[in-house]
Amino acid sequence: MNRVTQSLVLVLLGGAVLRITTVSNEYLNYVKPGFRYLLIAAAATVLVVGAVGLFKKEDGHRGPWVAWLLTLPVFAIFLVAPPPLGSYAARSEEAPARPVGALTAYTPLTAPVSTMTIGEFLGRAWGDPTKSLAGKQVRLTGFAVSSKNKGQWYVARMQIACCAADAVPLKVSVLGWPAPAEDQWIEVTGTWVPPTAGGPEPGTVAPELEATGVTEIPRPVEPYE
Amino acid sequence: MPHADDERTGQASFGSWVFVVVLCLLLLGQFFYAPYLTSPALQTWSTVFVAICVQALPFLVFGVLLSAAITAFVPASFWTRALPRRPALAVPVAGVAGAVLPGCECASVPVASGLISRGVSPSAALAFLLSSPAINPVVVVATVVAFPGQPMMAVARFVASLVVAVLVGWVWLRFGKGEWLRARRRHEHAGFAEAMRHDLLHAGGFLVVGGMAAATMNVVVPRAWLDALADDFWVSVLVLALLAVVLSICSEADAFVAASLTAFSPTARLAFLVVGPMVDLKLIALQVGTFGRRFAVRFVPLTFSLAVLVSVVTGVVLL
Repeated sequence: MNRVTQSLVLVLLGGAVLRITTVSNEYLNYVKPGFRYLLIAAAATVLVVGAVGLFKKEDGHRGPWVAWLLTLPVFAIFLVAPPPLGSYAARSEEAPARPVGALTAYTPLTAPVSTMTIGEFLGRAWGDPTKSLAGKQVRLTGFAVSSKNKGQWYVARMQIACCAADAVPLKVSVLGWPAPAEDQWIEVTGTWVPPTAGGPEPGTVAPELEATGVTEIPRPVEPYE
Repeated sequence: MPHADDERTGQASFGSWVFVVVLCLLLLGQFFYAPYLTSPALQTWSTVFVAICVQALPFLVFGVLLSAAITAFVPASFWTRALPRRPALAVPVAGVAGAVLPGCECASVPVASGLISRGVSPSAALAFLLSSPAINPVVVVATVVAFPGQPMMAVARFVASLVVAVLVGWVWLRFGKGEWLRARRRHEHAGFAEAMRHDLLHAGGFLVVGGMAAATMNVVVPRAWLDALADDFWVSVLVLALLAVVLSICSEADAFVAASLTAFSPTARLAFLVVGPMVDLKLIALQVGTFGRRFAVRFVPLTFSLAVLVSVVTGVVLL
């Protein structure tokens, strides 16, 4: 790999990352929103280092062959344009994940329909001694995942701490409404179904929601919680 | 793969032609291949793969910048003054100094390599390499946040990681041989930009290798299998230690994953947190690329076994 090729690989890599952070919002499929300026700075540095290399004379420094692999993420970004993790990743884990940073103080729900994240719903359903969810209308946003149990399906959302490699699925089981297409983004309105006495321990199965309305929506810009 | 020898002579190289082919594939692919690359498993794999690469890029660039700055601007005499002259003392000092580099493991490999090239004793640089991704303030705060009401988890992680780093440094000091560590292929006259470009290409390429391996494991291993192994103490510790190796999660995020593995004992989760920043697939690939294979085959098993043992002892005492 000569100097020009080395430099071009860096320009390509920097350009690809700049594209998904500035031209589009695709970076949100991979990392938290807070990463944006870090990524822009890093990509610009890579681009500048590559561009500077283009204008220097050849000095015979050989480049490592392994650097060719840096074109692979570029290929993935341009060709596959990887979508946010969806039902395939959410289905592969049957045991429900406990949401990170569940609330410890649960404020009473006063609005006629409370909009909340699936993480908050799980926290209130599993960990709230005051049962603040009981009898309240809530609205959840997520994508549809089919269930093995008859007559129900899941509304799910992935939660990430840093990047999609650490994503954990948060799922709520939906009753009383026909299942939408797999991976369809939806808003589900309904009320929590408290677990029956003698049933499984809270936190071991997804909590249930009796649906009163399901609206199909476009995929949100920020796909993760 | 183009071989380097033809490039020394300055001929129009094979590499440039490969590059032209790569570019054409990219342009044509947008129209011809992209519609077929839609299988959910492939898409999930590529999302995780790109996520690991994208997320590591800022830390890699930061580490490479810092390493190039150390090599170009900090005189070698600074390190002989800053660190104790006796290597046995320099190891713990370097281990504690790891607390000041607020990055993840991708940054620490190039920085440690820069330190060695400036005359810092390898055992001290390796202690720094192991401790900095695990005990810096960002990681400690992330661990406290991920385990609400269990502050001892962050304390145990800090203590165990520092102990492992210092022990590995001492073992390397006593038994390590200089020839195991590949000398840096950097020319003395190489300038700042030169050093950065070389390190970015080299470390970046190996990072991609690790990212591919980690994405594959992430998609292939269902976590339901793991929960079945959570009951036996030693098995659960080993399973989570190995999981930390294959998942290769950034040290600033791994506490959140550990917190979600509720089926496992606190000691097993501590092992996950201690092993992850020190031994994982992308880190192994980076170390092979930076220090050579002969180094990695000795350093990786040593670090892994010490990390597991120290985690168990710390977990039994503190958790």
